[in-house]
Amino acid sequence: MSFCLDTYLQESENYEILISKVGFKESKKVIEDHSPEVVYVDAGAKILGVRIIGIPPVPIGINDDKDTVTLSYTKPCYGTAVIELPVKKEDIENIRSITINPFKK
Amino acid sequence: MKKALILLGCPEAPAQTPMAVYAAYKLSGMGYEVTVASTPSAMKLLEVTDPQEYYVKNKIDIESCINNLEARDFDLLLGFVHKDAAVSYFVTFYHILNTKSMAVVFERDSELLEKFIEDLEESTDATIVSARAYHNPTPLRVKFDRAIEQLGD
Repeated sequence: MSFCLDTYLQESENYEILISKVGFKESKKVIEDHSPEVVYVDAGAKILGVRIIGIPPVPIGINDDKDTVTLSYTKPCYGTAVIELPVKKEDIENIRSITINPFKK
Repeated sequence: MKKALILLGCPEAPAQTPMAVYAAYKLSGMGYEVTVASTPSAMKLLEVTDPQEYYVKNKIDIESCINNLEARDFDLLLGFVHKDAAVSYFVTFYHILNTKSMAVVFERDSELLEKFIEDLEESTDATIVSARAYHNPTPLRVKFDRAIEQLGD
C-alpha cells in the first residue's frame, strides 16, 4: 500500500513539528531555513499520497543524510504547521520528479 | 448543466454559513448545479440551516474533495476566505481546477483583510469580493450580488 501522509500522522509519532498554527508564508521560511535542500512544487501537487495545500511555489525540504522531508501541512481551522518526517528514498525521488522552477512566472 | 463548487473555510466566522446558503441560492438560480466543500463542522452548520437541502443539495468533505479533484471538474469556483489557511486552500483549488473563480474575502481586521487580498492577487486571477465583516453578512452580500451579476457566462 502506498504511503499516505494523513494516515501516517494519525498513526505514528515518528515526526517532528517544527512550528504550528502559522501562516503559509511563515511556514515557507521555516522550511527554507531548516532544510539542506529545498525543491518547489505546484499547489495541489500530490506529495506522499495527499495534495499539498499552499501558495505556489510550495517548498519541500529534503535531507538526504537523514532520509527526511520537511513540508507544510495546512488544515482549515488550525492554520499551517511545518513537519519533518522520515520517508523512503523512492518517495524523495518521486518529489524530485514533480518539482517546478520557482522563478518561472 | 454548469457546475459550481463553493469552498468554505473554518466556520468560526458567523457570516460564512448564511453567505454560503445565499450563494448556493443565487448560483442555482443562474443554472449552476452547486456543490459545497467544507470541513465536517461547517457541514453540520449547513445541515441545521438547510435541513431539507432546499438550497444546498450537494455537500462533500473538503479533504476527500481535494484529493479527487481534477482540472475543469467545475465551471466556477467560489471560495470563502477569512483566514490564512483559507487563502492557501482557495489558491490550491484554483490551481487544480483552472477555471473561472471568485474569492469572497472577509475579516474584521482591515490589515488582515488587505493581506489576504494581496496574497490572492499575487497568486491567482480570481475575481475578489471583499468587505470588513464578521457577524453581519450584509456588506458581503451586497458586493457579492454586484460581482456575480458581472461574472456572466
